[in-house]
Amino acid sequence: MAARAEFLDRIKREVAKTPGLFPATPAPRPANPAEAAEIVRRQIAERWPQALERFREEFERVAGVFHRVGSLAEVPNVVRGIAKEKGVSEIVCWDRAPLGLDLRPSLGAEGLTVTVAEAGQESDEARVRHRAEAARAGLGVTGCDFALAETGTLILLSGSGRPRSTSLLPDTHVAVFDRTRLLESLEQVGIMLEALHADPARSMSGAMITFITGPSRTADIELTLTRGVHGPKEVHAIFVERP
Amino acid sequence: MKASIMITCLGDMFFPEVGVAMVKLLRALGVEVDFPDGQTCCGMPLFNSGYHADAAEVAARTVKLFEASEHVVVPSGSCAWMVKTEYPGLLKHDPALMASAIRLAAKTRELSQFLVEVLGVERVGSSFKGRVTYHDSCHLLRGLGESAAPRKLLRAVDGVELVELPGADECCGFGGSFSVRLPEVSSVILDKKLANAERTGADCLVACDAGCLMQMGGGLTRRGSRVKALHLAQVLAGEDTA
Amino acid sequence: MSESPLAVPFPERAGAALQDAFLQQALAIATTKFIELRKESFEGFPQGEALRDRARAIKEATLQRLDFYLGQLADSIERLGGRVHWATTGAEAREIVLRLCRDKGVRMAVKSKSMATEEIDLNEALEHAGVTPVETDLGEYIIQLAHERPSHIIAPAIHKTKGQVAELFSKELHGDFAADPEVLTAVARKALREKFLQADMGITGANFAVAETGTVALVTNEGNGRMVTSLPRLHVAVMGIEKVIPSMTDLMVFLAILARSATGQKLSSYTTLVRGPRQKGELEGPDEFHLILMDNGRARQIAGTLREALYCLRCGACLNVCPVYRQIGGHAYGYTYPGPIGILLTAMLKGTESVKDLAHASSLCGACKDVCPVRIDIPRMLIELREHLDRERIAPWPERMIFSMFKLILLSPALFHVSAFLGRALQIPFVTNGRVRRLPLFFAKWTRTRDLPPIAAKTFRERWKELD
Repeated sequence: MAARAEFLDRIKREVAKTPGLFPATPAPRPANPAEAAEIVRRQIAERWPQALERFREEFERVAGVFHRVGSLAEVPNVVRGIAKEKGVSEIVCWDRAPLGLDLRPSLGAEGLTVTVAEAGQESDEARVRHRAEAARAGLGVTGCDFALAETGTLILLSGSGRPRSTSLLPDTHVAVFDRTRLLESLEQVGIMLEALHADPARSMSGAMITFITGPSRTADIELTLTRGVHGPKEVHAIFVERP
Repeated sequence: MKASIMITCLGDMFFPEVGVAMVKLLRALGVEVDFPDGQTCCGMPLFNSGYHADAAEVAARTVKLFEASEHVVVPSGSCAWMVKTEYPGLLKHDPALMASAIRLAAKTRELSQFLVEVLGVERVGSSFKGRVTYHDSCHLLRGLGESAAPRKLLRAVDGVELVELPGADECCGFGGSFSVRLPEVSSVILDKKLANAERTGADCLVACDAGCLMQMGGGLTRRGSRVKALHLAQVLAGEDTA
Repeated sequence: MSESPLAVPFPERAGAALQDAFLQQALAIATTKFIELRKESFEGFPQGEALRDRARAIKEATLQRLDFYLGQLADSIERLGGRVHWATTGAEAREIVLRLCRDKGVRMAVKSKSMATEEIDLNEALEHAGVTPVETDLGEYIIQLAHERPSHIIAPAIHKTKGQVAELFSKELHGDFAADPEVLTAVARKALREKFLQADMGITGANFAVAETGTVALVTNEGNGRMVTSLPRLHVAVMGIEKVIPSMTDLMVFLAILARSATGQKLSSYTTLVRGPRQKGELEGPDEFHLILMDNGRARQIAGTLREALYCLRCGACLNVCPVYRQIGGHAYGYTYPGPIGILLTAMLKGTESVKDLAHASSLCGACKDVCPVRIDIPRMLIELREHLDRERIAPWPERMIFSMFKLILLSPALFHVSAFLGRALQIPFVTNGRVRRLPLFFAKWTRTRDLPPIAAKTFRERWKELD
């Protein structure tokens, strides 16, 4: 720990040499994140139709494909449709709790292999097996922790029963969400993240939070836009009206 | 209303006709014009190349020369910028000089800013027939935040057809000593500017800075262009400027 | 490794770039596009200006307590089960990575784009140590295969045609690929997918690190940032100390303006927030997470003239608008970081002497300052670097002599008047048709491509007598 103390002491000495360029403070934070988050939730509960409309606009602007269904029962149909269109035979998906439903009963029977990443799997064996499954799958179905309207962004927390690879390795990613997930602005995202991190051990079982804004893309070759560099080539969002 | 002319080194040596046009113009607008003797340069070339102690000496001289002036009018955005933003800092080692510099900064303006802000004039009442396009000099545009005044003034001249220059806010490549430290790069940047100017079909390329005019004018005559580089004052003073 | 560009003096490197027709075209197209995209993005974003002010304030506030925030960051990461390493120099940072590779039996490392690792020549060191580094950002992958350096901070292969990339891929990957970006992207996707799945270590930089939560934030478009932080068993992040920020709320401010400044996107395709290694209960993610906090010349600037350069978000916006960068591209600068901010960063990392030419590779037009998301006053610091060069007598003595003489003339109206008189006389042989077309010696630098007006027959001061 000598390295740390020495390093930080040196920085402290440099900092002490100057008052800085101008008086400045970091961004003001919510004094009570849990309360602030609750206020956001209440605001969205009233404004969700407008937020949804905005989300759809922005999501489509970044080449997302938007679907809307009445209830969770209709989700498997949409997924089946996408799988057929893409010629996919293997699907990986999140566990029932974070996804909202189990796709195996409806899709398993139709020659589609559906692998669910069940919560509680931790062994090296399970890890290796799941990696191969996710790498083979043509489609990954996840839930969605927040859907940001301002930018058309899907925000996913990783964790038990919600692996990172589901939205990363397959060519097509499908995210299912309802009105309770909508947020309007990055500022509100900040409030929700402050609230989550106020008690991370309780609120997050994983180490990664991913903001997904459209498919994987690059313009590194002659500034020509191409999709599906390393991540999915296509992203779908299914909005479920009745949560 | 009295105003002193700060002619600038380039103005004095290379573009006296711009100074003459300025005097004509200001007098026609009812301004009593004077010219404090002993002017040389604002010191910006020294400052930009890092010779700050030297620049401070020149600044100290300049500040004293204009102590008695009510207003100071400069036909150059870069020199006006130098006086307004850099002089106080350069002279901070001498409180009296610094106070004087602050006073000078407050009463100094580039020509178009003086006309529009102080005199409240947009139509100067002269005539000038031709299609004109305007280049935003970097220090006037970004240093002093001015892009509207010159355009307002130009548009209000009888006979002027003002067309917008593509890339008007792009540097002409002068940059003072930059033009001779990296002449090839400076020239390629200039070529781009002049190609844009010629594409507008304008008769005149107008700017508010002697440095830009030297660079752009020098490029235009070298390529035998029909486009003429003129200072704003020359257009505003009408076609019969000396 | 190709011959060091620094063997050739800067003006020659710049000259060579000007002669490269494809480079000129590529630069024109790319920089113009980026400028347009950024402009459009901010035009539709009225909160943008206030957010830029706020972002700048956050950076300044963080520097004012940098030791505190770095300490807090380290504590947060250790609480998550990650390890923090302290590297005062680039060499130390390299050594830490190499030691980790040795200790953990790493044979192949996949890298997400990281300027910090370019800065310390990490790839070369890894190769010498028998570890294969694989760049996975498409642009970086291309230049790695080509054994070149990046020519732009965010679009590293901007200087290459699709034909060149096709040739390169065909040769290095043993295939026959069409000069079609879609085809080439698919080739890279397939080739690199294998590497992601097999690599022992993922190496990233960090766009930001949130002190309070121990979060490392990566802003990418391709998905490689996600791959390298989830698939290999080790994740190492190399980060300049100036990237730390206090809270999640602060992070949102930067996310709101970073992608807009760089590419005109509201957000990049992926923003990845990593909190340490895989958590208990997670199926995927690295066993170990290591954060290397690197100084490498930064701390010295906290109280130095280049302090403001520590705010830099590495967005590349200043490169796109710089009239010099737009003409000469990144390689001509000769160092890791090109463009306006690159000159300052090079001085920071390698000392003022290293930029004795580059400090003058600017017309001081100020376009960079205009577009910088955190409003760094680059022109001011360039002038201050020039002032250092003068004070330290690094500027060549003939130049210093000329400027001293110049000063004497400017301090004396009599001398000024005499110079005009002399100049008028000396120029006579060179004036044709009212223009000076050719001057000898040093002045030929101007007249090679431009005319000069002659010194007027009467200076304004002389004409004032008639006007008064």
